[in-house]
Formats: sequence, C-alpha cells, structure tokens
Amino acid sequence: MSTFETPDREQEADPETLLEDLLIGTEAHRNAPGVVIPPNAVQEALTRLREDAGYDHLSTVTAQEYADRFEAIYHLRRFADPTDELSVVVPTSKEDPTIESAAPVFRTADWHEREAYDLMGISFEDHPDLRRILLPETWQGHPLRQDYDQDRPQVVPLREHRNPIAENQQTAEGEDTMFLNVGPHHPATHGVLHIETVLDGEQVVDVDPDIGYLHRCEEQICESSTYRHQIMPYPDRWDYVSAGLLNEWAYARTAEDLADIEVPAYAQTIRTMGAELSRIAAHMLALGTFALDVNGDFTAAFMYAMRERERVEQLLEELTGQRLMFNYFRLGGVAWDLPDPREEFFENVREYLNDVPEAVQEFHDLLSNNEVFQLRTVNTGVLEPEVAKDYGCTGPVLRGSGVAYDIRDKDPYGRYDDLDWEVVTEDGKDNYARVLVRIREVEQSARIIDQCLDRLEDWPEDDREIQSNVPRTVAPDGGQEIYRAVEGAKGELGIYIRTDGSDTPARFKIRGPSFSNLQVLPELAEGEYIPDLIAALGSLDLVLGEVDR
Amino acid sequence: MNVVPLQTVRLPDWLAGVLGLDGLLGTVVGSLIGAALVATVMLTMTAIAGPWAKRKITAAFTDRVAVSRIGPYGLFIIVADSLRLISKELIVPENADRPAYDIAPIVVVFSALIGFSVLPMGNLGGVSIQLADPEAGLALVFAFASIATIGLVMGGYASANKYSLLGGLRSVAQAIAYEIPLLVIAISLVLFTGSLQLSEFIAYQQQPFIDLGVFAIPSWFAFVNPFAFLLFLVANLAEIGRNPFDTPEAPNEIVAGYQTEYSSVYFVLFYLGEFLHIFLGAGIITVLFLGGGAGPLLPGFVWFLIKLWAIFLFTQWMRSAMPRVRIDQLIGIGWKGLLVLSFANLLLTAVVVGVFNVGV
Amino acid sequence: MIGVLKSMATTMKHALGGETFTVRYPEEAPEVAPRFRGIHKFSQERCIWCRQCEDVCPNDTIQIVMDDRRNGEQYNLHVGQCIYCRLCEEVCPTDAIVLTQQFEFTGDTKDDLVYNKEQLKSVPWYKGSDPLAAREPDRDAWVGDDDGEIDYQ
Repeated sequence: MSTFETPDREQEADPETLLEDLLIGTEAHRNAPGVVIPPNAVQEALTRLREDAGYDHLSTVTAQEYADRFEAIYHLRRFADPTDELSVVVPTSKEDPTIESAAPVFRTADWHEREAYDLMGISFEDHPDLRRILLPETWQGHPLRQDYDQDRPQVVPLREHRNPIAENQQTAEGEDTMFLNVGPHHPATHGVLHIETVLDGEQVVDVDPDIGYLHRCEEQICESSTYRHQIMPYPDRWDYVSAGLLNEWAYARTAEDLADIEVPAYAQTIRTMGAELSRIAAHMLALGTFALDVNGDFTAAFMYAMRERERVEQLLEELTGQRLMFNYFRLGGVAWDLPDPREEFFENVREYLNDVPEAVQEFHDLLSNNEVFQLRTVNTGVLEPEVAKDYGCTGPVLRGSGVAYDIRDKDPYGRYDDLDWEVVTEDGKDNYARVLVRIREVEQSARIIDQCLDRLEDWPEDDREIQSNVPRTVAPDGGQEIYRAVEGAKGELGIYIRTDGSDTPARFKIRGPSFSNLQVLPELAEGEYIPDLIAALGSLDLVLGEVDR
Repeated sequence: MNVVPLQTVRLPDWLAGVLGLDGLLGTVVGSLIGAALVATVMLTMTAIAGPWAKRKITAAFTDRVAVSRIGPYGLFIIVADSLRLISKELIVPENADRPAYDIAPIVVVFSALIGFSVLPMGNLGGVSIQLADPEAGLALVFAFASIATIGLVMGGYASANKYSLLGGLRSVAQAIAYEIPLLVIAISLVLFTGSLQLSEFIAYQQQPFIDLGVFAIPSWFAFVNPFAFLLFLVANLAEIGRNPFDTPEAPNEIVAGYQTEYSSVYFVLFYLGEFLHIFLGAGIITVLFLGGGAGPLLPGFVWFLIKLWAIFLFTQWMRSAMPRVRIDQLIGIGWKGLLVLSFANLLLTAVVVGVFNVGV
Repeated sequence: MIGVLKSMATTMKHALGGETFTVRYPEEAPEVAPRFRGIHKFSQERCIWCRQCEDVCPNDTIQIVMDDRRNGEQYNLHVGQCIYCRLCEEVCPTDAIVLTQQFEFTGDTKDDLVYNKEQLKSVPWYKGSDPLAAREPDRDAWVGDDDGEIDYQ
C-alpha cells in the first residue's frame, strides 16, 4: 500500500508528510505502511500521529532481533476505523539497544515496553517504571534473544529476590497504610495473578499487578513450529476458558492473509458459527465467575452459568472432537465438516438456541435485576472512555464505557459482514455496564449462530468445501510482516508474524487483550474498597493465559 | 390479661427427681446432666447440618447430586468428614498470639452452646426442655450470643495475618451495628408479654389470636407483628454472618477472614461454632416469633427442631441467591436502615398496645 | 425488593424442580461424541513408517527409531505428554494411528504413560471394543477412500 489517503483525513495529516523531518525510511508491511524513525524521536512522532493523524489506538509493541540490529514496532490503529493501520518501526543498535519510551504518549505502552525489555532486552528511556514484567526480577538474560542459552541454569539465591514488604514496613512518620499481597494463591484472582495492594483500612490506595506466573513461552513455541499444522493447537491455550476457536481464528486469519490462502465460503460459515458458540461459552464463564466474586462461594448463579456452558461444550464436542482445546481450524478452512447426520446436529444446536432467551432471563433475574447486586456493581470500577482508549482496552471492557469498537464490525472477517447483528455497548462505564454488555453479547451471538445455521442447512451438497487446497508445507516468502487481529472473547486478539522464507515464523508476537485490560486495574480500583477491587478484577474478565502467554 | 404459667417440670428438676436427689445437689447434678443432653442434641444437629445437609441443600439449588455414596443417603459423610478434619495437621503460625489464638474458637463454640441454656425448647413427654428460666432470660440470651464477637476478634487479631485482621475488624463492626436493632425489636415484643422471661413468651404465644371456629391461629408474634418478624430475620442474618451479610469471612476477598490461619481441630471448632450460632439464632427466632415448641400432634420439642431446620433452610436459600453487600453498605444498612425501622416498630407497637390494651 | 425476591424465587424453582444436570459417574458414563479425541490406537500392520506423525506432532510425543536399513525399530508414544490434537491421525496416510473415544486410562507416574511398540499392542483399555465403530456414520468424513475392513491386533 503506497497511498495514505483516506476519505476522512486531509492531505496534511498524511503520516509521511507529518513525519517528514523525522523519517529515515519507509517499509511496506502486508497490513499497513511502515514508517521508520530513529530511536530518539519516538515520542515526537507518536504525538504527531496521535493528535494530527488520529491514530489513537496502540495495539502492541513488538520487539525483534535481526542479525544487525534490534527493532521495535509500534502498531497503531484508529478506534474509529481499525483497517487504517500504521506500523512505526524503530531500529536500534545491537550493542546498546535503547529507544525513547512511548509511555508518556500512550499509557498502554507502559506494560508492552516492559515486556519488550524483559524478553528482548531493549531499554526504554523515559519509561516511568522499567522493570521486568513476565519473568522474576532476578532473571539473568533476555530469553527471546538469539544468543540466549537455554541450558545454562539460572542460579539466583533467594536473598536477592525483592521483598515486597521491606519498603512498606512501618516508618517513623507513622504511615497508616497496610501492604497486602492478593494472590497468587487467592480464591478470586482469575488464574495465578499477584496483586500488590496498599490499603488504608479497607480502602485501596495503590494497586500493582505482578504477572508472569503463567508464562509458557508461547511465542517461542510458535516460532519453532510449522505454520501448516503445528502452531494450530497452541492458540487454544491462550484464552483457555473455552474461547479456543476465537483464538484459532486469530492465527488462521493472520497466516492465511500472509500466505494468500483463500477460505471457501462454506468453511467461513462454519467458522463463524463455531466462533460464536465459543464466545457464548466464554461469556458464560465470565458471568459465572463474576457472580462468584460478588455473591460469595455458594451462589447458584455460578452453577447455572456452568450448566449453560456445558451445553455449548457438548455441541462443540460434537463438532470438533474436544471440549476445550479444539484444534479445529486449519489454514484454508476447518478440519472436518459438520457431524453426520447433519439434521441431528442442527436440531441440537437449535434446541440450545431456543433455551438461550430463558437462560439470559435467568441471569437477569439473579444478577442484573437484583437490587443488592446493583448496590455492589453500579458506580464501582468506573472507567472513563478516554482512559480506556489510552490504556488500549478492547472488548467488553471498552464497550461497557460506550465506545463501539468491535473488530467483527469494523474490520470484518468470516461471514460477519453479511449477517444481521449489532454491536453491544453500554454507557454506564461501571462494573454493572460490563456485565450487561456480556449478557447482551450472548444474545447477539445466538442471533449470529441462528443465521449461520439457516445458511448451512440450505447449502447445496456438492459445494461443501471445508478446506481449500493448501500444500502440506506452507513457507511464505521471506521478509514479509503482518499484523492481524480478530475480536476474541476478551477483546482484540492480534498476532504479528514476520517470515524468513522457511516454514516456521521468524517472529511471532501475540497481542493478548487481557494484557492491556489488566493494565487499567489501578484506574478502576484506587480509592475504592477491597470488595470493589475484587469486583473490578472480575468484571475485567481476565484470562492469565492471554496475559502471560 | 393474666398469663397462666405452665405446669410442666423443667428438665433439670425432672432429672433430679429421676436420680432421687433433691435440694442444691439435685439442681446442680440435674442441670449438668441436662446441659450435657442439650449440648449433645445441638451438636448432633450441627454435625448433620454442616457436612451433610448444607451440601444436599446447595446441590438441590444448583441441579446437582451431592453426597450420595457413603452410607444411606450419604449420611456417613459426617463420620468421614469428621475423621478427615480431625486427622489434619494443626499448623500454628509462628507469630500467632498464643493464648488468644487458642481460646478464640473455644469462645465461639462456648457462646453458642451457653445461649441454648435459657431457651425453652418445647415439651417432651411432660418435661419442658429448658435448663434455666431466669427472669431476665431474653437479655441473657442476647448477651450470650454476643460473646462470640470476642472470639472472632481474638481470632482475627491473634492470627498475625492481614486477611484475618481485616476479617476480625469487619466482624466487630457488623456485630455492633446489628445488635441494637435486634434488641430493640425484641423489646417491642416485651411490650406484649410484660416480662423478659422466655417461658412467658411461650405462654403468651399459645393464646389464640384469630379464632376461626374450627381452629384458632395462635398469637405467634410472626402473625401478630409480621413487620417485626421480617426485620428480625434480616438483622439475625447479619448477626450470624450469613449472606447477604457474610463480609467477615468473604472467601473471595479476604480468603477466609478470621478463619484463615486455623486448621484441623480449631477449624472444626470454628465451623461447628458457625452452625451452632445459626441454630442459636434460629432458636431465638423460634422462641420469640414462632411460639417455641408449639404445634399440633407432635411433641413440642420435635416442633422446635423442625422450626430450627426451617430457618436453617432459609439461610441456605439466601446464601445461594443473594449477593454480598460491601462492608460500608452493610454498616449503613445497619445503623441507618434497620435501626430506624426497628425504632419505628417499637413506637408503633407501643401505640397499638396502648390503644387496644392487648398486652399485660 | 422485587429484584431480591425474584432472585430468591429463581433459585427456589430450581430446588423444587428436582432435575439434575450431573451424571452419576461411574455408574452412568457421560456420552462422548463420536469425534472425541481420546487415547490413541496404533496399528502396526498398517503403519508404513513414513514418519509423518512424528514430523507433525507439536510437542515431540511420538518418537520413531529406524535401523540402518530404514526398517522401523521403535515407535514410542508418550501418552502423558500428548496434547490430543489429532494431527498425527490427520496426516497419517494409512490410518495407522487413530484417536479413539476411550478416556479412561491411568498410570501411576508420568513415566508409566510412555508406551513402546510392544506395549501398544496389549494396552488394556480397548480390549473388546471397536474403537472405530464409534465413528460411524461419520467415518467418511475422515477415513480415506479405503472402505475395507480395518484389522486390529
């Protein structure tokens, strides 16, 4: 793509012109043009792009290593139009990789740059708090570097680890705050999450999430697996609470766009149906665990949510063969057709869809219409839309603050653009709004599935292609870079791939939506009580698999 | 209106008679044996309620089958659970404040059991199951029930754990906030009976309220003053720490509150103590509002137990349906909501009693 | 207050309804779908030692050792490490390895779950059952063009 013109932007706001004095080159990525700027001009360039050109969404920061340099790529988009993307490429030297930090311009860059520092060793000047995020603070070396030796043991004595209580001991001035470790062993953190909380009585003064307990080096695993077959089981394990098909679609979309693989319309319809079933299951779990957080341990709402989710899992088991780790999508389509006999499968799905309104009404009765629930969730965990956008929040967290950003709608894939459905937003900005968004999205997903079923039932028998003809080895041409995103259950799930001509990726970067959503927790919880902190954490609907990868 | 006192034998006196002792020795021995019997019955009920009934009820609310393998209807789970809990290792944190840490669970259980000593639990074959019937029985039973708060605070403070501390502080605030509405509502009932003696409450409630010819609705205070009944139920839920007011041990927020650092036998004591308090609260409600051991056909004591279980079922129902309120909202509801309503109830009762001259 | 009462009514309706959603395992086993990816079944007669399964396996679960005449010597399958993704079944040209519906298999330690060629012939979990019959009438969706009888050992 060599032209930057879009209908709603004037010529002066074209990025090449805007950054004229800073540019040291241009690149062409598969998804967006790239502008190359020097490492000391990051803040200036990003400020101009944000304010004058309207690029207000920093999706992720990818760090990678070439033979002669390090590079960080800032993937910019616009909330109003996510197809309008720009990659800001910042090369830096191999001996002393230092880049000016973008954290003052985009708050979301804070954690993404910490991760780049942690895994790749690039330092960011002017960063408010540059320390390791996924690995312990005493880790030696930077794992994603090419010269990192995996077999050398990490020998670090215990005394060198940071003692989180040490600096909070009672000082002579008599500070009245108490430091509390919430997690990693805690009934309410959704996964292994450690939150360092400073409390003033029951009020939260400071919240600092500490992640990395579930870091499984997914990016490196995918970098050593082949595109065609071996990477596909892994996306199931990022958002492992049954949004597996949505994760697989992220990878499938990226790799298919990279290798120019067409997907037949029949497979797209099945993909859409499967993905929306996955989304219902994921939202059911989110509602159920939120009910657990707010209602206490013995709440019946959790078990009803699990029951609904179980029914979806049974349908997905009939379709894909597994209940949670589906491995159903393939590059070019899906692994197998609808189960035989088709009528029975359609009947089962329709039976489930008929019960969805009743289940949703039950959730409204138990949760959203309950006055005590409203007491707990209305006006707690308030998230202003501008703050949410600045932190890169996406998904129901952002839509609960009134911003209608849904990739299925604005950057369509699958069959979403010719089906009849709505983007669900709520204006409440609080925990209650986010819960309502999820409940309503379940209804919308049911609508989409219904329409997909209608199309699948009438599909002519000789036209049912489930996979296009893809060679056994997929090795896209080297030197290409692409970033694609889909609407996962928790938000924008994006993947960046760089090829090098072989059948495994040279760089595979995963943008997990929960990573950016978790970063906004201090904004939600500071100044509120402990129960509100827990409720806010539940309403963010995190999956540590996506946060830590 | 004069209330005719009941002409039945109280349990300690009956035991003394059976053993052939009289005077002070007879009273003491009879009381001790009676106390042991009552405690055994209550602890048995707790043992059934904790491991078995709670799970069965929760399973019914959530469309599951629970505890059905060991023994008939799964009842041997009680034995299995007790053995399991007692055989666990007792882990005491290093910085725990030792005597307080150990005494806390005992205080909680003690306060519940001693509360049963003044409750009139109905008749069983001509013997009134009531260990003592002091004239200030109503005040005593509330006082005994409140001793539990000391135990909770001790447990919270002595555990040397921040979560326990939070739980202990929350429980103190909650107990103080809800004690007063409970007492004020109980006082409004005293306006009818004219006495704090609990057996007088039972006697008063046996009188007919509305005569329907075929049978008469007795003047249980639940029928006479349903508003006070509902208020008392809600305040009682807060007093015993049950949803929607179970903030002191909110497991999702402060792990287990004051119980966090307790294991093995101490945990069993806290667990039992919690259920004993539920039954004590239910006992107070039964005596004050549901006529104690009154009902057709079956002996009074059996009816008393049935009413205790009914209220226990009610607390479990609330537990599965209701969210938990935040601590500041809870204190607000207590001091601003329930207190005002209970004083309003007191005034209204005083007016009604004065105008219609119903009480003593 | 109405919302509160409605919540209470909802749970009470379930309690009085009496239906249960759970099954009493192991007396009643849950029904698994025909496509369920359970334990593997390796057929040595059909295997042509093409090593496609070993190549495609994402986490090195299958290990094949050949001698210098390229005859298959060892076929080691670590059932405890497998992620049950079914890629080996998908790429196998002769349906020599299939994932069956059996999910009831155990081992005392993780090392117990490594099976070599000889052990795979006599594993206990599918004696007496036809692992492929469960896939009817769906077999055409994944089985190749061969409609003949599948042999077992």
